[in-house]
Amino acid sequence: MKIKPFTKTYDGRTVLDMPELELTEGSIYAVIGANGSGKSTMARILAGALPCDSGSPVLDRAVSVGYMPQKSYAFRMSAEKNILLSGGNAKKAKELMERLGIISLARNRADKLSGGETSRMALARLMMGKYGLVILDEPTAAMDMESTALSEELIRDYCRETGCTLLLVTHSLRQARRLGDEAIFLHEGKLWERGSVEKVLFAPEKPETAQFLEFYGV
Amino acid sequence: MQSALEKAVELILSGNRELMSILSVTARMSISSSLIALLIGVPIGIWLGSCSFRGREALVVINRTLMSMPPVVCGLLFYLLFSGVGPFRSMKLLFTVEIMIMAQVVLITPIVVGNMESYVAAVALPVKETARGLGIGGGKTLLLLLNECVYQIFSVYLLAFARAIAEVGAVSMVGGAIAWKTNVMTTAIMQYTNRGDFSMGIALGIILMTSSLLVNIAISLLQRRVSR
Repeated sequence: MKIKPFTKTYDGRTVLDMPELELTEGSIYAVIGANGSGKSTMARILAGALPCDSGSPVLDRAVSVGYMPQKSYAFRMSAEKNILLSGGNAKKAKELMERLGIISLARNRADKLSGGETSRMALARLMMGKYGLVILDEPTAAMDMESTALSEELIRDYCRETGCTLLLVTHSLRQARRLGDEAIFLHEGKLWERGSVEKVLFAPEKPETAQFLEFYGV
Repeated sequence: MQSALEKAVELILSGNRELMSILSVTARMSISSSLIALLIGVPIGIWLGSCSFRGREALVVINRTLMSMPPVVCGLLFYLLFSGVGPFRSMKLLFTVEIMIMAQVVLITPIVVGNMESYVAAVALPVKETARGLGIGGGKTLLLLLNECVYQIFSVYLLAFARAIAEVGAVSMVGGAIAWKTNVMTTAIMQYTNRGDFSMGIALGIILMTSSLLVNIAISLLQRRVSR
């Protein structure tokens, strides 16, 4: 799967300038970088939620894209109904809710859930569908450690079962290491470095990558 | 003051015919105009709030200007259009309940549009982005967006009704406040007070406030039911 080169400009300022990017199907890519490096913009463009400057699709082929935005939205209905929005059956929804520890909230109004609960509900909702490319934008940012562990396990299983390619935008380098096959480091709107997670995290080629990692104590 | 209050209560309890006529015209005008404004304004508000196109900002600014249109200006406009020198004189609508409703719709619709637009503008992006991320099509996304707006629609209706029932400037100009025909509660209160008949004015005032309270309670109960 190829991502064609694209740019994104706001008020004359280029916030993202991506070169061609080839993704191996079935792999998990951890997208890392500082705030404002363009991670979420990249995720939104790939998901089709934001047009790039050229306005044309950036993926080289028609592939179904599943996307969980940085701020999960809960529709004004029960958590279970929210989860069933993307298809699938009640049995699968129940199974996912059980795995994420939110089964007791099934009949609760989703828009009244806490941030972490909403994120788990949104993750279950996405995982009801089947996609060629899945983009998760900081899916566990609002979760506690236990929920994060449950979610990561589910993400890993989902990728293995469906064979999808996953782009995981994350601020957690530990999460990138736990889940990622490859790391993509964005810096000031540019793809600065990519490679295996171990290589990017522990033997970065660029000084900017090393400087970023230093803040995380790597 | 006390005797006026007593007489007012007596008028209400006795079902005074003139009072009933005023109530009936007021109910017809307020309910019709607020419902028509809601039917026109909600789709326009949702469209303006959820779509991005060239000229959208200009439309929002125009609507905001219309929201603050003084009722007497609206009344004057309708008066000129439908009076003996106006282009629509042949319709003979001046001093009828119908023209009062039309004037009210013109006054209230921008308020409905503006309130819906600002609410939808805040929720449309996350709704559309989430729906797209789940592979949900355009039709279902619109239904989801409408579902998110239900609570707001009740609030907006309340606002529209409150504006309709309390309006006096436009309806007195185009309706003429004719007894037994186009006199509504607000115009009647003015008339009776000017005549020194405070008891009828107080009776109408009590009914006006009570009906507003009842509508507010009913809408609040509906909102509570929806938000459960």
